[in-house]
Amino acid sequence: MSQNLRQQLVNLTGLGIALLGWTLYAVYLSPTQGWTFYFQLTVNGIILGSVYALIALGYTMVYGILKLLNFAHGDVFMVGAFIALGVLNLIGGAFSPAIPAGAGGALIVLCMFAAAMTGSGFLGVAIERFAYRPLRNAPRIAPLITALGVAFFLENSMLLLFGSKFRTYNGFDLVSYNGIHIGGDNGVFVQYLGLMVIVSAVALMIGLIALVRWTQLGRAMRAVSFDREAAAMMGIDPDRVIAGTFFIGSALAGAAGVMFGLLYSQIYHLMGFLAGLKGFTAAVVGGIGSIPGAMLGGLLVGLVESWAKGYLSGNVSDLVVFGILIGIMLVRPSGLLGTPALQKV
Amino acid sequence: MKLRITFAAVAALSLVVVAAAFAGSDGKAAKAARGSAAIACGTTRTIGVAAPITGPAASIGQQQLRWAQYYVKRWNAVKANAKQKIAIVQGDTQLGVDTAFAVKVAQSFASNAKVLGVVGPAGSQEVVASTSALQGKGLGFVSGSATRVSLTDGHTDGVNRQGFFFRTVPNDNVQGPTVANYIRLKLKAQRVVVIDDQEAYSQGLSDTVQAALKAKGISVTRESVSQDTTDFSSLIAKIPGNTDVIYIPWQLSPRAQAFGQQLKGAGKNITLFGSDGLFDPATWKISGSYDSFFPVDTNNPIVKAYVSAHNGDGEYFGAPTYAATQVLVGAVTRACADGKATRAEVRRQIARTNIPAAQSVLGFRIVYQKNGELRYGGFGVFQIQSDGTYKRVG
Repeated sequence: MSQNLRQQLVNLTGLGIALLGWTLYAVYLSPTQGWTFYFQLTVNGIILGSVYALIALGYTMVYGILKLLNFAHGDVFMVGAFIALGVLNLIGGAFSPAIPAGAGGALIVLCMFAAAMTGSGFLGVAIERFAYRPLRNAPRIAPLITALGVAFFLENSMLLLFGSKFRTYNGFDLVSYNGIHIGGDNGVFVQYLGLMVIVSAVALMIGLIALVRWTQLGRAMRAVSFDREAAAMMGIDPDRVIAGTFFIGSALAGAAGVMFGLLYSQIYHLMGFLAGLKGFTAAVVGGIGSIPGAMLGGLLVGLVESWAKGYLSGNVSDLVVFGILIGIMLVRPSGLLGTPALQKV
Repeated sequence: MKLRITFAAVAALSLVVVAAAFAGSDGKAAKAARGSAAIACGTTRTIGVAAPITGPAASIGQQQLRWAQYYVKRWNAVKANAKQKIAIVQGDTQLGVDTAFAVKVAQSFASNAKVLGVVGPAGSQEVVASTSALQGKGLGFVSGSATRVSLTDGHTDGVNRQGFFFRTVPNDNVQGPTVANYIRLKLKAQRVVVIDDQEAYSQGLSDTVQAALKAKGISVTRESVSQDTTDFSSLIAKIPGNTDVIYIPWQLSPRAQAFGQQLKGAGKNITLFGSDGLFDPATWKISGSYDSFFPVDTNNPIVKAYVSAHNGDGEYFGAPTYAATQVLVGAVTRACADGKATRAEVRRQIARTNIPAAQSVLGFRIVYQKNGELRYGGFGVFQIQSDGTYKRVG
């Protein structure tokens, strides 16, 4: 067993013990709400965390291959949400008679996902081609600043195109207000829409892992990530691989944008800022560059945010989330499942 | 040598500061500070419109701006006004982000010698923050949505705005009891959850309604949520399933819509009750919910014309801003009768406003009390119908 793997197991064990301790406290010792409240918050946190995890994957993939923090990623998420809104509006919105109840709604949602993922994917490729590729050999601060520039460019472009008004998918009207009650009518309630988000996120994550592990593109991605020059000498075209990485990462952000719009009913040009920041936090907490780390980090950030909002207050949830980020960084600078950078001495 | 240069620089700087201080106390500047510097009115008079044109409250700010522009467009289109046209200078206060934006807007209006008066700002907290800048330079300001009681009582927040601040909406002392009475007597609620959005407007209204309900023995739980929140699931988990009414006096209708949908999505069918800040039929349309609002006269031909010119969207939240613009333009026109006007004259003319009910989109005569409050008008209660329309029920 490598030292790195051992360290990751130690981290996961520590995290597991902390979560178990918190669960026991919340369920048995917390003076206020009891188990139903705890598990309701947990379900909410997993749903929210699934969205963050998808955003985090884009950050981690780009960082893994280019060592670039793509701060425009949150805004690609926002553009994805708008593309899906465009598809929905073409049909006439959630209340359109053109959308039959049940399967019809699900079909529309599927179209929204497909359009948002494709559109966001190509947007990611365009950003890489025109904003990052010319700076590939520049000092690392240059593409970082460009990334911020692209973020503002996207936000203001959407403001000019669509105005500042909040828009909504009316996601529950589109899919269903129903769900599953666990533990009776006053027990934990899991909406079908929430379940759909979790299942979609897990499916996309599994698909991504399969792609990276077992496809030619995945092998090429790993090779370019390990050593771009050596990979080029072996016949891999790094530019194509990097473009492919941006496409996949951005497509996942687009999917996350649709999920966010369906669940939280608010689409606006600044929505990518905080969600992007949380996704970035998730990627760092999980270990930036690590795909399972991004998923774990996303779920953890979602859970902590949900618990903090429920047990403390919405005012302090971000304080708690980012406080934990600082704590983890102090104890484990490379994140929970990250690999420490080796320095040749 | 270095010491000598430093000394010379400090001396020069001191001279500049002293000169600037004296320049500031120059007679002309002092007059301007009191708003008594005369401005040649010319054929186009300028007013400022302060509204959250972008940012999280843009959906209401844009409405206010459009209604203000609508009044000015109508005014300028009248032949008789060809030599007394009105121009608007816009200021984006970004309500819900930081009141510093409102202060910056107020400062820019105050320092623009052409601006004779201001429509806005929208939020009570923005009025509080920008009073010093506006009042210091003699500007009168007429808000079409700030309802906090303390803005006109002259003492609660330590500032007397009498003669400077006016509004075209009734205050929360009218709105709060109207809501509390409706919840108690009409909805017969026994368990109410009040959720404020952590802003002055919302907290004041929440306090009033909470106190009024508690005084009548109704169980009230208070919660609080930031205007930045998009995920309400944790808050919803806290709300007991047997709650009869949730009162949400917020300012961002899209947030309320999201909250309502997430509440329904969580399987909780609880009646929602919003305030004037949420009166937005285009966005806030959770069927069966209630909302308190200024009695905009939807049968007024001006309102009807606006609705048809805006694809059927009444954007009624902005209608009192139309009235505010009407008040200010009327005052500017009267003050400019001799070709010159001062900001102080404009303020005096605002106080003397008398717009007949037939010409008022609010449906009642607009006349001011000494403290800048309307003499007439109250709040109505509306219910959101299944087709998204608002029906007056109280």
